[in-house]
Amino acid sequence: MMLLGFLAAMFAVGAKRPFLWVLTYVYIDIVAPQRLTYYLLNSVPISLMAVALAVGGFLLLDKKTDVRFAPRQGLILLLLVYCGLTTMSADFPVEAADKWAWVWKALAFAAFLPFTLRTKLRIEALLLFMTLAVATIIIVGGVKTAMGGGGYGELNLMVTNNSGLYEGSTISAVAIAIIPLILWFLKYGTIFPPDWRVKAFGYALILSCLLIPVGTSARTGLLCIGLLAVLMFRFTKHKLAFAGAIAIMGVAAIPLLPASFTQRMDTISDHKADESASTRLAVWGWTISYAKQHPFGGGFNAYIQNKVRYELRDADGGAKGIATDEARAYHSAYFEMLGEQGYPGLLIWLIINFAGVFRMEILRRRHRDPSDPYAWAGQLAAALQSGQLIYLLGAAFVGIAFQPFIYMLIGAQIGLDSYLKRKRGEGATTTLRPIRKVATPVTT
Amino acid sequence: MIDNLTIMLTHGLMLIAVWRLLKRPEVDDESTIDPDTRKGRWPRA
Repeated sequence: MMLLGFLAAMFAVGAKRPFLWVLTYVYIDIVAPQRLTYYLLNSVPISLMAVALAVGGFLLLDKKTDVRFAPRQGLILLLLVYCGLTTMSADFPVEAADKWAWVWKALAFAAFLPFTLRTKLRIEALLLFMTLAVATIIIVGGVKTAMGGGGYGELNLMVTNNSGLYEGSTISAVAIAIIPLILWFLKYGTIFPPDWRVKAFGYALILSCLLIPVGTSARTGLLCIGLLAVLMFRFTKHKLAFAGAIAIMGVAAIPLLPASFTQRMDTISDHKADESASTRLAVWGWTISYAKQHPFGGGFNAYIQNKVRYELRDADGGAKGIATDEARAYHSAYFEMLGEQGYPGLLIWLIINFAGVFRMEILRRRHRDPSDPYAWAGQLAAALQSGQLIYLLGAAFVGIAFQPFIYMLIGAQIGLDSYLKRKRGEGATTTLRPIRKVATPVTT
Repeated sequence: MIDNLTIMLTHGLMLIAVWRLLKRPEVDDESTIDPDTRKGRWPRA
Protein backbone atom coordinates (compact mmCIF):
# COMPACT_ATOMS: atom_id res chain seq x y z
CA MET A 1 0.00 0.00 0.00
CA MET A 2 2.80 2.33 1.01
CA LEU A 3 4.74 1.51 -2.15
CA LEU A 4 1.67 2.12 -4.23
CA GLY A 5 1.20 5.58 -2.71
CA PHE A 6 4.87 6.34 -3.27
CA LEU A 7 4.70 5.37 -6.94
CA ALA A 8 1.50 7.33 -7.46
CA ALA A 9 3.23 10.39 -5.96
CA MET A 10 6.27 9.91 -8.21
CA PHE A 11 4.17 9.60 -11.34
CA ALA A 12 2.21 12.70 -10.32
CA VAL A 13 5.17 15.00 -9.58
CA GLY A 14 6.67 14.13 -12.94
CA ALA A 15 3.94 16.21 -14.51
CA LYS A 16 5.60 19.28 -12.97
CA ARG A 17 9.19 18.22 -13.62
CA PRO A 18 9.43 15.49 -16.29
CA PHE A 19 12.98 14.64 -15.15
CA LEU A 20 11.42 13.07 -12.05
CA TRP A 21 10.01 10.34 -14.31
CA VAL A 22 13.58 9.36 -15.10
CA LEU A 23 14.15 8.99 -11.35
CA THR A 24 10.93 6.98 -11.09
CA TYR A 25 12.21 4.48 -13.63
CA VAL A 26 15.59 4.31 -11.86
CA TYR A 27 13.79 3.59 -8.60
CA ILE A 28 11.57 0.87 -10.11
CA ASP A 29 14.52 -0.76 -11.83
CA ILE A 30 16.57 -0.93 -8.62
CA VAL A 31 13.99 -1.70 -5.93
CA ALA A 32 11.55 -3.67 -8.14
CA PRO A 33 8.57 -2.72 -5.93
CA GLN A 34 6.38 -5.07 -7.97
CA ARG A 35 8.34 -7.91 -6.38
CA LEU A 36 7.88 -6.64 -2.84
CA THR A 37 4.12 -6.46 -2.90
CA TYR A 38 1.45 -8.53 -4.53
CA TYR A 39 -1.07 -5.79 -4.28
CA LEU A 40 -1.96 -4.45 -7.73
CA LEU A 41 1.62 -3.57 -8.68
CA ASN A 42 2.43 -6.82 -10.39
CA SER A 43 -0.57 -6.61 -12.66
CA VAL A 44 0.29 -3.12 -13.93
CA PRO A 45 3.42 -2.71 -16.10
CA ILE A 46 4.88 0.09 -13.93
CA SER A 47 8.36 -0.23 -15.38
CA LEU A 48 7.07 0.21 -18.92
CA MET A 49 4.91 3.16 -17.84
CA ALA A 50 7.86 4.85 -16.14
CA VAL A 51 10.21 4.41 -19.09
CA ALA A 52 7.55 5.63 -21.54
CA LEU A 53 7.00 8.74 -19.41
CA ALA A 54 10.74 9.30 -18.94
CA VAL A 55 11.52 9.11 -22.67
CA GLY A 56 8.29 10.85 -23.69
CA GLY A 57 8.85 13.60 -21.13
CA PHE A 58 12.34 14.17 -22.47
CA LEU A 59 11.32 14.17 -26.14
CA LEU A 60 8.24 16.36 -25.77
CA LEU A 61 8.85 18.61 -22.78
CA ASP A 62 12.56 18.89 -22.04
CA LYS A 63 15.05 21.35 -23.47
CA LYS A 64 17.25 19.74 -26.07
CA THR A 65 19.36 22.67 -27.18
CA ASP A 66 22.51 21.58 -25.36
CA VAL A 67 22.19 17.83 -25.77
CA ARG A 68 25.43 16.06 -26.61
CA PHE A 69 26.12 12.60 -27.89
CA ALA A 70 29.20 11.14 -26.21
CA PRO A 71 31.36 8.43 -27.83
CA ARG A 72 30.60 6.03 -24.98
CA GLN A 73 26.88 6.31 -25.66
CA GLY A 74 27.69 5.19 -29.19
CA LEU A 75 29.64 2.24 -27.80
CA ILE A 76 26.71 1.26 -25.58
CA LEU A 77 24.43 1.33 -28.62
CA LEU A 78 26.99 -0.68 -30.57
CA LEU A 79 27.03 -3.28 -27.79
CA LEU A 80 23.23 -3.27 -27.85
CA VAL A 81 23.14 -3.98 -31.60
CA TYR A 82 25.87 -6.59 -31.31
CA CYS A 83 24.04 -8.40 -28.49
CA GLY A 84 20.90 -8.30 -30.62
CA LEU A 85 22.77 -10.03 -33.44
CA THR A 86 24.22 -12.74 -31.19
CA THR A 87 20.74 -13.30 -29.74
CA MET A 88 19.41 -14.02 -33.22
CA SER A 89 22.10 -16.63 -33.85
CA ALA A 90 22.28 -17.88 -30.25
CA ASP A 91 23.05 -21.50 -29.34
CA PHE A 92 19.95 -21.47 -27.16
CA PRO A 93 17.48 -19.09 -28.78
CA VAL A 94 14.81 -19.32 -26.06
CA GLU A 95 17.14 -18.84 -23.11
CA ALA A 96 19.03 -16.12 -24.94
CA ALA A 97 15.81 -14.26 -25.62
CA ASP A 98 15.03 -14.36 -21.87
CA LYS A 99 18.21 -12.52 -21.01
CA TRP A 100 18.00 -10.21 -24.01
CA ALA A 101 14.56 -9.12 -22.76
CA TRP A 102 16.12 -7.25 -19.82
CA VAL A 103 19.62 -6.56 -21.15
CA TRP A 104 18.46 -4.43 -24.06
CA LYS A 105 16.46 -2.26 -21.67
CA ALA A 106 19.45 -1.72 -19.39
CA LEU A 107 21.67 -0.78 -22.34
CA ALA A 108 19.09 1.41 -24.06
CA PHE A 109 18.40 3.26 -20.82
CA ALA A 110 22.13 3.75 -20.20
CA ALA A 111 22.51 5.29 -23.66
CA PHE A 112 19.48 7.52 -23.08
CA LEU A 113 20.21 8.61 -19.50
CA PRO A 114 23.09 11.07 -20.21
CA PHE A 115 20.82 13.15 -22.50
CA THR A 116 18.64 14.02 -19.52
CA LEU A 117 21.55 14.95 -17.22
CA ARG A 118 21.79 18.56 -18.35
CA THR A 119 22.33 20.19 -14.97
CA LYS A 120 24.47 19.59 -11.92
CA LEU A 121 21.39 19.13 -9.78
CA ARG A 122 20.06 16.42 -12.09
CA ILE A 123 23.29 14.46 -11.83
CA GLU A 124 23.13 14.79 -8.05
CA ALA A 125 19.43 13.83 -7.97
CA LEU A 126 20.06 10.72 -10.09
CA LEU A 127 22.89 9.54 -7.87
CA LEU A 128 20.91 10.32 -4.72
CA PHE A 129 17.97 8.28 -5.97
CA MET A 130 20.22 5.40 -6.97
CA THR A 131 21.80 5.47 -3.51
CA LEU A 132 18.54 5.73 -1.55
CA ALA A 133 16.84 3.09 -3.70
CA VAL A 134 19.61 0.55 -3.25
CA ALA A 135 19.83 1.59 0.43
CA THR A 136 16.43 -0.06 0.86
CA ILE A 137 18.06 -3.43 0.21
CA ILE A 138 21.31 -2.56 1.98
CA ILE A 139 19.77 -1.33 5.24
CA VAL A 140 17.52 -4.37 5.50
CA GLY A 141 20.54 -6.63 4.93
CA GLY A 142 22.80 -4.62 7.23
CA VAL A 143 20.36 -4.56 10.15
CA LYS A 144 19.57 -8.26 9.82
CA THR A 145 23.28 -9.09 9.69
CA ALA A 146 23.92 -7.00 12.80
CA MET A 147 21.12 -8.89 14.53
CA GLY A 148 22.71 -12.21 13.68
CA GLY A 149 20.99 -13.32 10.50
CA GLY A 150 22.76 -14.25 7.33
CA GLY A 151 24.93 -16.84 5.65
CA TYR A 152 25.44 -17.41 1.95
CA GLY A 153 22.06 -17.47 0.23
CA GLU A 154 20.35 -17.20 3.61
CA LEU A 155 20.23 -13.51 4.37
CA ASN A 156 16.61 -12.54 3.87
CA LEU A 157 16.57 -9.46 1.66
CA MET A 158 12.79 -9.11 1.49
CA VAL A 159 12.34 -11.14 -1.71
CA THR A 160 13.07 -14.83 -2.01
CA ASN A 161 13.94 -15.30 -5.66
CA ASN A 162 17.56 -14.20 -5.26
CA SER A 163 17.92 -12.32 -8.52
CA GLY A 164 18.97 -8.87 -9.70
CA LEU A 165 20.31 -6.67 -6.93
CA TYR A 166 18.73 -8.97 -4.35
CA GLU A 167 21.35 -11.62 -5.13
CA GLY A 168 23.98 -11.84 -2.37
CA SER A 169 27.21 -11.44 -4.34
CA THR A 170 25.78 -8.75 -6.57
CA ILE A 171 24.53 -6.59 -3.72
CA SER A 172 27.86 -7.11 -1.91
CA ALA A 173 29.82 -5.65 -4.81
CA VAL A 174 27.32 -2.83 -5.40
CA ALA A 175 27.09 -1.96 -1.68
CA ILE A 176 30.85 -1.46 -1.47
CA ALA A 177 30.96 0.35 -4.84
CA ILE A 178 28.58 3.09 -3.65
CA ILE A 179 30.52 3.92 -0.45
CA PRO A 180 32.71 6.55 -2.21
CA LEU A 181 29.51 8.08 -3.55
CA ILE A 182 27.95 8.26 -0.07
CA LEU A 183 31.11 10.00 1.18
CA TRP A 184 30.77 12.50 -1.67
CA PHE A 185 27.20 13.27 -0.61
CA LEU A 186 28.41 13.91 2.94
CA LYS A 187 30.63 16.66 1.60
CA TYR A 188 28.96 18.11 -1.47
CA GLY A 189 25.28 17.17 -1.24
CA THR A 190 22.88 20.06 -1.89
CA ILE A 191 19.52 18.24 -1.86
CA PHE A 192 20.39 17.06 1.62
CA PRO A 193 23.07 19.57 2.72
CA PRO A 194 25.38 17.71 5.09
CA ASP A 195 24.22 18.57 8.60
CA TRP A 196 24.46 16.20 11.58
CA ARG A 197 21.36 14.22 10.57
CA VAL A 198 22.58 13.62 7.03
CA LYS A 199 26.02 12.65 8.34
CA ALA A 200 24.55 10.25 10.90
CA PHE A 201 22.44 8.59 8.19
CA GLY A 202 25.38 8.51 5.75
CA TYR A 203 27.79 6.85 8.16
CA ALA A 204 25.14 4.38 9.31
CA LEU A 205 24.50 3.52 5.67
CA ILE A 206 28.23 3.00 5.07
CA LEU A 207 28.35 0.66 8.07
CA SER A 208 25.39 -1.18 6.61
CA CYS A 209 27.18 -1.45 3.24
CA LEU A 210 30.22 -2.94 4.97
CA LEU A 211 28.01 -5.48 6.75
CA ILE A 212 26.46 -6.77 3.51
CA PRO A 213 29.44 -8.94 2.49
CA VAL A 214 29.46 -10.31 6.06
CA GLY A 215 25.75 -11.09 5.97
CA THR A 216 25.83 -12.70 2.55
CA SER A 217 29.21 -14.39 3.19
CA ALA A 218 30.20 -13.23 -0.28
CA ARG A 219 33.95 -13.52 -0.65
CA THR A 220 33.85 -11.08 -3.52
CA GLY A 221 32.62 -8.42 -1.10
CA LEU A 222 35.65 -8.83 1.13
CA LEU A 223 37.98 -8.29 -1.83
CA CYS A 224 35.96 -5.22 -2.77
CA ILE A 225 36.36 -3.82 0.77
CA GLY A 226 40.10 -4.35 0.43
CA LEU A 227 40.17 -2.44 -2.85
CA LEU A 228 38.04 0.32 -1.33
CA ALA A 229 40.61 0.73 1.46
CA VAL A 230 43.42 0.96 -1.13
CA LEU A 231 41.50 3.51 -3.23
CA MET A 232 40.70 5.64 -0.19
CA PHE A 233 44.32 5.47 0.87
CA ARG A 234 45.17 7.10 -2.45
CA PHE A 235 43.17 10.22 -1.67
CA THR A 236 43.70 10.54 2.05
CA LYS A 237 45.97 13.25 3.41
CA HIS A 238 47.00 11.57 6.63
CA LYS A 239 48.15 8.28 5.17
CA LEU A 240 49.79 6.89 8.27
CA ALA A 241 46.80 7.62 10.51
CA PHE A 242 44.49 6.12 7.87
CA ALA A 243 46.54 2.92 7.62
CA GLY A 244 46.61 2.66 11.42
CA ALA A 245 42.85 3.17 11.70
CA ILE A 246 42.17 0.51 9.05
CA ALA A 247 44.46 -1.97 10.79
CA ILE A 248 42.83 -1.35 14.19
CA MET A 249 39.32 -1.59 12.72
CA GLY A 250 40.22 -4.80 10.90
CA VAL A 251 41.63 -6.47 14.00
CA ALA A 252 38.72 -5.25 16.13
CA ALA A 253 36.19 -6.58 13.62
CA ILE A 254 37.49 -10.17 13.46
CA PRO A 255 36.06 -11.39 16.82
CA LEU A 256 32.73 -9.83 15.91
CA LEU A 257 32.43 -11.67 12.61
CA PRO A 258 30.26 -14.79 12.57
CA ALA A 259 32.09 -18.12 12.30
CA SER A 260 30.33 -18.97 9.03
CA PHE A 261 31.88 -15.85 7.53
CA THR A 262 35.46 -16.46 8.68
CA GLN A 263 35.31 -20.09 7.55
CA ARG A 264 34.17 -19.09 4.10
CA MET A 265 36.73 -16.31 3.84
CA ASP A 266 39.47 -18.80 4.71
CA THR A 267 38.72 -20.55 1.45
CA ILE A 268 39.95 -17.52 -0.50
CA SER A 269 43.56 -18.55 0.13
CA ASP A 270 43.14 -22.32 -0.33
CA HIS A 271 40.64 -22.36 -3.13
CA LYS A 272 41.46 -25.91 -4.14
CA ALA A 273 39.52 -27.26 -1.18
CA ASP A 274 36.49 -25.37 -2.24
CA GLU A 275 34.04 -26.60 -4.81
CA SER A 276 32.65 -23.20 -5.71
CA ALA A 277 36.11 -21.87 -6.57
CA SER A 278 37.15 -25.05 -8.41
CA THR A 279 34.13 -25.05 -10.66
CA ARG A 280 34.77 -21.41 -11.38
CA LEU A 281 38.27 -22.17 -12.68
CA ALA A 282 36.91 -25.10 -14.68
CA VAL A 283 34.17 -22.98 -16.25
CA TRP A 284 36.62 -20.25 -17.14
CA GLY A 285 38.83 -22.83 -18.83
CA TRP A 286 35.83 -24.12 -20.74
CA THR A 287 34.88 -20.58 -21.79
CA ILE A 288 38.34 -19.87 -23.20
CA SER A 289 38.31 -22.99 -25.35
CA TYR A 290 34.70 -22.35 -26.37
CA ALA A 291 35.65 -18.83 -27.51
CA LYS A 292 38.43 -20.28 -29.67
CA GLN A 293 35.84 -22.20 -31.66
CA HIS A 294 33.17 -19.49 -31.42
CA PRO A 295 35.07 -16.18 -31.50
CA PHE A 296 31.83 -14.23 -31.93
CA GLY A 297 30.22 -15.80 -28.88
CA GLY A 298 27.37 -18.19 -28.38
CA GLY A 299 24.70 -15.67 -27.43
CA PHE A 300 23.19 -15.13 -24.00
CA ASN A 301 23.20 -18.07 -21.60
CA ALA A 302 25.54 -20.09 -23.81
CA TYR A 303 27.03 -21.54 -20.62
CA ILE A 304 24.12 -24.03 -20.42
CA GLN A 305 26.00 -26.36 -22.77
CA ASN A 306 29.15 -26.65 -20.67
CA LYS A 307 30.25 -29.85 -19.00
CA VAL A 308 33.18 -29.44 -16.70
CA ARG A 309 35.33 -31.91 -14.82
CA TYR A 310 37.48 -30.72 -11.98
CA GLU A 311 39.65 -32.17 -9.31
CA LEU A 312 38.68 -31.73 -5.68
CA ARG A 313 41.43 -31.47 -3.12
CA ASP A 314 41.30 -31.19 0.63
CA ALA A 315 42.94 -28.32 2.47
CA ASP A 316 46.28 -30.18 2.71
CA GLY A 317 46.45 -30.59 -1.04
CA GLY A 318 45.54 -34.29 -1.13
CA ALA A 319 43.22 -35.48 -3.88
CA LYS A 320 39.64 -35.93 -2.78
CA GLY A 321 38.26 -37.05 -6.09
CA ILE A 322 36.96 -35.82 -9.38
CA ALA A 323 33.69 -33.98 -9.67
CA THR A 324 31.73 -33.27 -12.80
CA ASP A 325 29.17 -30.63 -13.38
CA GLU A 326 27.22 -29.13 -16.20
CA ALA A 327 25.54 -25.86 -17.08
CA ARG A 328 27.67 -23.95 -14.58
CA ALA A 329 27.22 -20.18 -14.78
CA TYR A 330 30.25 -18.06 -15.64
CA HIS A 331 30.68 -16.50 -12.19
CA SER A 332 32.62 -13.69 -13.83
CA ALA A 333 31.50 -10.81 -15.99
CA TYR A 334 34.65 -11.02 -18.12
CA PHE A 335 34.04 -14.67 -19.02
CA GLU A 336 30.32 -14.00 -19.32
CA MET A 337 31.14 -11.48 -22.04
CA LEU A 338 33.70 -13.74 -23.71
CA GLY A 339 31.44 -16.79 -23.80
CA GLU A 340 28.22 -15.03 -24.72
CA GLN A 341 29.40 -12.15 -26.90
CA GLY A 342 32.80 -13.42 -28.03
CA TYR A 343 35.92 -11.32 -28.44
CA PRO A 344 34.20 -8.32 -30.06
CA GLY A 345 31.59 -8.15 -27.29
CA LEU A 346 34.22 -8.47 -24.59
CA LEU A 347 36.28 -5.76 -26.25
CA ILE A 348 33.39 -3.29 -26.49
CA TRP A 349 32.44 -4.00 -22.88
CA LEU A 350 36.02 -3.47 -21.70
CA ILE A 351 36.29 -0.20 -23.62
CA ILE A 352 32.99 1.09 -22.17
CA ASN A 353 34.18 0.31 -18.66
CA PHE A 354 37.83 1.27 -18.79
CA ALA A 355 37.13 4.40 -20.81
CA GLY A 356 35.01 5.41 -17.82
CA VAL A 357 37.89 4.84 -15.42
CA PHE A 358 40.17 6.83 -17.74
CA ARG A 359 37.76 9.75 -18.34
CA MET A 360 37.02 10.06 -14.61
CA GLU A 361 40.76 10.23 -13.93
CA ILE A 362 41.07 13.13 -16.37
CA LEU A 363 38.18 14.99 -14.75
CA ARG A 364 39.51 14.27 -11.28
CA ARG A 365 42.89 15.73 -12.15
CA ARG A 366 41.45 18.70 -13.99
CA HIS A 367 39.37 19.74 -10.97
CA ARG A 368 41.54 18.55 -8.12
CA ASP A 369 42.21 22.05 -6.75
CA PRO A 370 39.86 22.62 -3.76
CA SER A 371 39.38 26.27 -4.79
CA ASP A 372 38.24 25.27 -8.29
CA PRO A 373 34.53 26.11 -8.69
CA TYR A 374 34.16 22.58 -10.07
CA ALA A 375 35.97 20.90 -7.19
CA TRP A 376 32.71 19.05 -6.50
CA ALA A 377 32.91 17.57 -10.00
CA GLY A 378 36.50 16.45 -9.56
CA GLN A 379 35.58 14.71 -6.33
CA LEU A 380 32.48 13.21 -7.91
CA ALA A 381 34.57 11.88 -10.78
CA ALA A 382 36.89 10.28 -8.22
CA ALA A 383 33.92 8.67 -6.43
CA LEU A 384 32.42 7.37 -9.68
CA GLN A 385 35.83 6.04 -10.71
CA SER A 386 36.36 4.26 -7.39
CA GLY A 387 32.87 2.78 -7.60
CA GLN A 388 33.57 1.47 -11.07
CA LEU A 389 36.94 0.00 -10.13
CA ILE A 390 35.31 -1.83 -7.21
CA TYR A 391 32.64 -3.12 -9.60
CA LEU A 392 35.30 -4.24 -12.08
CA LEU A 393 37.02 -6.22 -9.32
CA GLY A 394 33.76 -7.73 -8.05
CA ALA A 395 32.78 -8.52 -11.65
CA ALA A 396 35.80 -10.81 -11.92
CA PHE A 397 33.97 -13.27 -9.66
CA VAL A 398 30.30 -12.53 -10.29
CA GLY A 399 28.47 -12.63 -13.63
CA ILE A 400 27.24 -9.05 -13.55
CA ALA A 401 28.33 -7.74 -16.96
CA PHE A 402 24.87 -6.31 -17.62
CA GLN A 403 23.86 -5.24 -14.10
CA PRO A 404 21.56 -2.25 -14.79
CA PHE A 405 22.76 -0.39 -11.68
CA ILE A 406 26.27 -0.21 -13.09
CA TYR A 407 25.01 1.03 -16.44
CA MET A 408 23.24 3.83 -14.58
CA LEU A 409 26.54 4.64 -12.90
CA ILE A 410 28.17 4.72 -16.34
CA GLY A 411 25.29 6.92 -17.52
CA ALA A 412 26.05 9.32 -14.66
CA GLN A 413 29.74 9.35 -15.63
CA ILE A 414 28.90 10.24 -19.22
CA GLY A 415 26.44 12.87 -17.99
CA LEU A 416 29.08 14.47 -15.75
CA ASP A 417 31.64 14.37 -18.54
CA SER A 418 29.27 15.99 -21.07
CA TYR A 419 28.15 18.56 -18.48
CA LEU A 420 31.73 19.67 -17.80
CA LYS A 421 32.54 19.74 -21.52
CA ARG A 422 29.55 21.99 -22.07
CA LYS A 423 30.65 24.28 -19.24
CA ARG A 424 34.17 24.45 -20.66
CA GLY A 425 32.66 25.19 -24.05
CA GLU A 426 30.58 28.03 -22.61
CA GLY A 427 33.68 29.48 -20.94
CA ALA A 428 35.81 28.97 -24.04
CA THR A 429 33.52 30.38 -26.73
CA THR A 430 34.25 33.95 -25.72
CA THR A 431 38.00 33.55 -25.46
CA LEU A 432 38.66 31.09 -28.27
CA ARG A 433 36.59 32.56 -31.06
CA PRO A 434 39.27 34.94 -32.43
CA ILE A 435 41.83 32.14 -32.53
CA ARG A 436 39.47 29.92 -34.48
CA LYS A 437 38.90 32.65 -37.03
CA VAL A 438 42.60 32.90 -37.67
CA ALA A 439 43.01 29.15 -37.75
CA THR A 440 40.29 28.44 -40.32
CA PRO A 441 42.00 29.79 -43.46
CA VAL A 442 45.23 28.01 -42.60
CA THR A 443 43.56 24.59 -42.58
CA THR A 444 41.73 25.11 -45.90
CA MET B 1 9.18 -5.27 10.81
CA ILE B 2 12.72 -4.36 9.70
CA ASP B 3 11.57 -4.59 6.09
CA ASN B 4 8.73 -2.14 6.58
CA LEU B 5 10.70 0.32 8.69
CA THR B 6 13.48 0.39 6.10
CA ILE B 7 11.02 0.89 3.26
CA MET B 8 9.44 3.74 5.20
CA LEU B 9 12.82 5.34 5.89
CA THR B 10 14.28 5.25 2.38
CA HIS B 11 11.02 6.02 0.63
CA GLY B 12 10.38 8.89 3.03
CA LEU B 13 13.82 10.29 2.23
CA MET B 14 13.17 9.94 -1.50
CA LEU B 15 9.89 11.83 -1.10
CA ILE B 16 11.63 14.64 0.81
CA ALA B 17 14.26 14.75 -1.95
CA VAL B 18 11.53 15.02 -4.60
CA TRP B 19 9.80 17.75 -2.58
CA ARG B 20 13.03 19.74 -2.41
CA LEU B 21 13.70 19.19 -6.12
CA LEU B 22 10.27 20.59 -6.95
CA LYS B 23 11.23 23.81 -5.21
CA ARG B 24 14.51 24.20 -7.10
CA PRO B 25 14.16 25.48 -10.66
CA GLU B 26 17.84 24.77 -11.36
CA VAL B 27 16.85 21.14 -11.88
CA ASP B 28 15.86 22.23 -15.37
CA ASP B 29 17.70 25.50 -15.84
CA GLU B 30 20.97 26.46 -14.21
CA SER B 31 20.75 30.11 -15.17
CA THR B 32 18.32 30.51 -12.27
CA ILE B 33 20.96 29.79 -9.63
CA ASP B 34 21.70 32.65 -7.30
CA PRO B 35 24.57 31.58 -5.08
CA ASP B 36 24.26 34.53 -2.72
CA THR B 37 20.72 34.04 -1.53
CA ARG B 38 20.55 30.32 -0.96
CA LYS B 39 22.89 28.45 1.28
CA GLY B 40 24.34 25.08 0.48
CA ARG B 41 24.66 25.83 -3.23
CA TRP B 42 27.71 25.38 -5.38
CA PRO B 43 29.50 28.52 -6.54
CA ARG B 44 28.79 29.83 -9.97
CA ALA B 45 31.40 29.09 -12.60
